[in-house]
Amino acid sequence: MEAPPVAVMPVTGGSIHMMEYLLQGSVLDQALESLLHRLRGLCDNMEPESFVDHEMVFLLKGQQGSPFILRARHSLDRPAAPWHLRYLGQPEVGDKSRHALVRNCVDVSASHSLHDFLLEMGFRMDHEFVAKGHIFRKGALKVVVFKLFRILLPGNTENTEPLSLSNLVELSVLAPAGQDTVSDDMRNFAEQLKPLVHLDKIDPKRLM
Amino acid sequence: MSGGPAVQISIESACEKQVQEVALDGTETYVQPLSMSQNLAKLAQRIDFGQGSGSEDEGGEGEARGQEWGKQEQEEDEATVKFQPSLWPWDSVRNNLRSALTEMCVLYDVLSVVKEKKYMTLDPVSQDSTVGKTPPVLQLLGKKKSLATAAQLLLKGAEKLNKSVAENQENRRQRDFNSELLRLRSQWKLRKVSDKILGDLSYRSAGRSLFPHQGTFEVIKNTDIDLDKKIPEDYCPLDVQIPSDLEGSAYIKVSIQKQAPDIGDLGTINLFRRQLKPKSGTQPWHLKLEAAQNVLLCKEIFAQLSREAVQIKSQIPHIVVKNQIISQPFPGLQLSISLCHSTGDKKNQKSTPDKNKPDDHLYVLEHNLHQLMREFHKQTLSSVVMPHPASAPFGNKRMRLAGPMAYDKAEITSLQQSEGLLEKIIKQAKHIFLRSRTARTIDSLASRIEDPQIQAHWSNINDVYESSVKVLITSQGYEQICKSIQLQLTIGVEQIRVVHRDGRVITLSHQEQELQDFLLSQMSQHQVHAVQQLAKVMGWHVLSFSNHVGLGSVESIGNASAITVASSNGEYSVSVRNGPESGCKVMVQFPRNQCKDLLKSDVIQDNKWNYLRGPHKEVHWSKMEGRNFVYKMELLMAALTPCP
Repeated sequence: MEAPPVAVMPVTGGSIHMMEYLLQGSVLDQALESLLHRLRGLCDNMEPESFVDHEMVFLLKGQQGSPFILRARHSLDRPAAPWHLRYLGQPEVGDKSRHALVRNCVDVSASHSLHDFLLEMGFRMDHEFVAKGHIFRKGALKVVVFKLFRILLPGNTENTEPLSLSNLVELSVLAPAGQDTVSDDMRNFAEQLKPLVHLDKIDPKRLM
Repeated sequence: MSGGPAVQISIESACEKQVQEVALDGTETYVQPLSMSQNLAKLAQRIDFGQGSGSEDEGGEGEARGQEWGKQEQEEDEATVKFQPSLWPWDSVRNNLRSALTEMCVLYDVLSVVKEKKYMTLDPVSQDSTVGKTPPVLQLLGKKKSLATAAQLLLKGAEKLNKSVAENQENRRQRDFNSELLRLRSQWKLRKVSDKILGDLSYRSAGRSLFPHQGTFEVIKNTDIDLDKKIPEDYCPLDVQIPSDLEGSAYIKVSIQKQAPDIGDLGTINLFRRQLKPKSGTQPWHLKLEAAQNVLLCKEIFAQLSREAVQIKSQIPHIVVKNQIISQPFPGLQLSISLCHSTGDKKNQKSTPDKNKPDDHLYVLEHNLHQLMREFHKQTLSSVVMPHPASAPFGNKRMRLAGPMAYDKAEITSLQQSEGLLEKIIKQAKHIFLRSRTARTIDSLASRIEDPQIQAHWSNINDVYESSVKVLITSQGYEQICKSIQLQLTIGVEQIRVVHRDGRVITLSHQEQELQDFLLSQMSQHQVHAVQQLAKVMGWHVLSFSNHVGLGSVESIGNASAITVASSNGEYSVSVRNGPESGCKVMVQFPRNQCKDLLKSDVIQDNKWNYLRGPHKEVHWSKMEGRNFVYKMELLMAALTPCP
């Protein structure tokens, strides 16, 4: 039965508004090793961690045209870790000189029954994928280099095939609203990766 | 001859003698010709006497000789090539004549040429006209010029070599800008922004910094150098320019002061105060940068402390005034933390004389505070775990579980960071203060009271918030016998816990008086215990013993204790009552027959009842001989013990 239409209220994560500052780029498989070496040198001195995550994107069709999107993600190599639910708002149309993509972000940890809960709430799963890669950090900056895998049979995370021959590189910072120095720091960091990978703000709307 | 130039003709006789040797200076030595006798000897050697047939036929000899001669000639003619010299005795004569003839002919020719000049003339050999013509002055000038050219070339080469050697030396001494920059880069973080070189001296790379200071400095080339003057020893081609608010030097001063007259000031310690003694190898920029970083560190710590001081709720609120934080850990005690920042070279700054009191408590506090500051920066870096799944934000792993596992408030507060920096400092200050006051109490008691001696053994290894001391109360000379009072004191942050040897655990507050009273009461109990032990040794019997006697005047401190011991044959008994305030009272009980002032009555029928113990008599204890109570008691007991 079709879920009744809901009115979508502005999403807030309590009293704190967290914004996600994002820069993205991509690198081919051949250049992956050198990029990892570079990141290992630039980022905080910890053992590089690899991860395998399974993400599902849920949609809720509202009265208005644009559906409400929630992303549920859980780790495949650490099954005991809690699930993570994320809402990402529209990118802020600020001044053009800001170097990173800024959007509202709400992060919630959830238990393992999240999938069923969302289905019961009326969400419909739009697509899912598996991401395998490495995660680095430098202070508050998070750098994730991963490869997307397409799931061939729905629900079966063993059977996957890579989506392309390249890896996605994402540089993100979670900060409260209003701190613009963050984007400068991100740009400086991105400069240091320059010949290997070009990190830019990519507006998802323009890609559609 | 008359018209032409004069020609010199040299005549030399033909060389008859062979040249034996030509010396180095050109003189020739000739082989001396053979004299007559030598010649004869040489010829005689050639004659082969063996071959001669004999003296048979003289005529035949003559013919034979002639034939021999002819044969020989033929043979020689045939073999002229082989063996020339013994050919013919006149050969040499002929040769000499021939050569003489040649010479004569030549002479004749030359003379005819000179005389007649018909077909040939004598023409001198053409020579350089300048050889004889040029005067020696010009020759000298010419030589001088060529020498000068050669010398100039050599000088030019030498000059170039000199210059390069001097340049090398200059470079080594002067250390040009690039090598200095390299050295700077090996120790500090630098980056190039457009045409300036900026550096970073903040602590951002050590972890999340709480102080929003950029901490950038600029590297500039020091070009104001006068090349003509001598370059000073400490010249450096590189200079750094630090932000204006980080100039000078800073340190944090922590001081604990009294407000009540019972204890003295615990004193002041200065944290992060560096005396910058420049070592011989350090460069001025290094010292400058280090000083600026120190200033930044002190500012950062102070900012954190003042933030906490405002946020923490405590019984007595902390006061934050400009650059000083004042708080009261105990009533009557004031802890003040202040940031002292001196810019430039202000000479009038009242430099507190560094008379560090030789008080070990403060050194411990200083060390602890240093460790605290460093640990604070360390903790923001290492204890973070990466989030799984990767899109989750950074943070404590357990806090992320709080939602799904439905933690309640108590659990969440237990997970969070417990204490801030200021709280830790206050706790440490409290502990240091309590410890020093305890030590002072024990020491003052020990110096005031001689009779039971009080000994304190402090443990070497202590915690930041806990120390312990073992207190023994003994009598001098009787340590082995009377060791029943042993106290283990554990000094915490706000309380002192005492564990007695008999197992009692007592908690004392931070009041000094409580400890003193307790120790005094223990000392009085010790005396009575000592009597008990002494009685065992002396063979006396303990008739009664009470630690807390309910009779007699009420003591203000603790309770009085009492003991009664009887001699081994039962004749005498000694009763002792000792109180912390009332002192000791000793009574001796004599047998009845020794008391003079007893009423004779008819009740006693038998004489044997006279040997029972009778009335008590008090002992003038202060007049007794003996240096301490137990000694006196021993003497008394010995006096009352009958000799066998």
